[in-house]
Amino acid sequence: MKLKSRTEGDIVILEVKGKVMGGPDAAVFQEAIKAEIGKGIKKFIFDLGGVDWMNSSGLGILIGGLTTIRNIEGELKLANVTDKIQSLFMITKLVTIFDSHETVENALNSFN
Amino acid sequence: MPLKKLGELEVPSDQDYLAEVDNFTEKLIKKTLLPSSDVDDVAIVISEAVNNAMVHGNNLDVTKSVKIRLYSCSKYIRIVIQDEGGGFSPEDVPDPREDENLLKASGRGLLIIRHLMDEVSYKSVKSGTQIIMDKYV
Repeated sequence: MKLKSRTEGDIVILEVKGKVMGGPDAAVFQEAIKAEIGKGIKKFIFDLGGVDWMNSSGLGILIGGLTTIRNIEGELKLANVTDKIQSLFMITKLVTIFDSHETVENALNSFN
Repeated sequence: MPLKKLGELEVPSDQDYLAEVDNFTEKLIKKTLLPSSDVDDVAIVISEAVNNAMVHGNNLDVTKSVKIRLYSCSKYIRIVIQDEGGGFSPEDVPDPREDENLLKASGRGLLIIRHLMDEVSYKSVKSGTQIIMDKYV
């Protein structure tokens, strides 16, 4: 897994790429989120367009991110959710948990 | 239906080896008759089963290993993952789709395996527990 972050105003976009399969990925992801929270960021977009595939540990990483962001009363949007990931969201009912948008632009516009 | 063994790998119960397992199995899967649209599904399932074997079967004890074996025939590919644990009852695993479990970070592996594979079974062997997973080609 590779992570890259960029900022649009007060919103951080985390671009996730590669295979998200848990193990060391979880710590890398949490550290990236906490580093941004440390800078005062509360609004996040996870851009999943570059994810090859994700397993249940990857889903757990997303949930961990959501929980961390909710704990600071922040907001998380997902963007570019691939068909494969959407299928996993349907199987696991996580489709009811995440706020997903077709593009990063749509996700950016969805913040109040 | 004669099954041909494609390959075997044995790794310690250390999640840092998940990427090595993926590299090893992806090359083998791509040589089978499996449609390209199913290759990622099988890769996901192998990562789930190996992770479960490391974490739940072997309690991340690096002195215990996980064995991965791949077989194929004209009708299906078979993946056998073996840990050194005492086994478990799949029906005792909580349903991760229940409201009280939705925000839990783990517990979805078996559900995903059952959805993505065509046949899944479990077997106790002398030195541990196997999960046997078939995907029709």
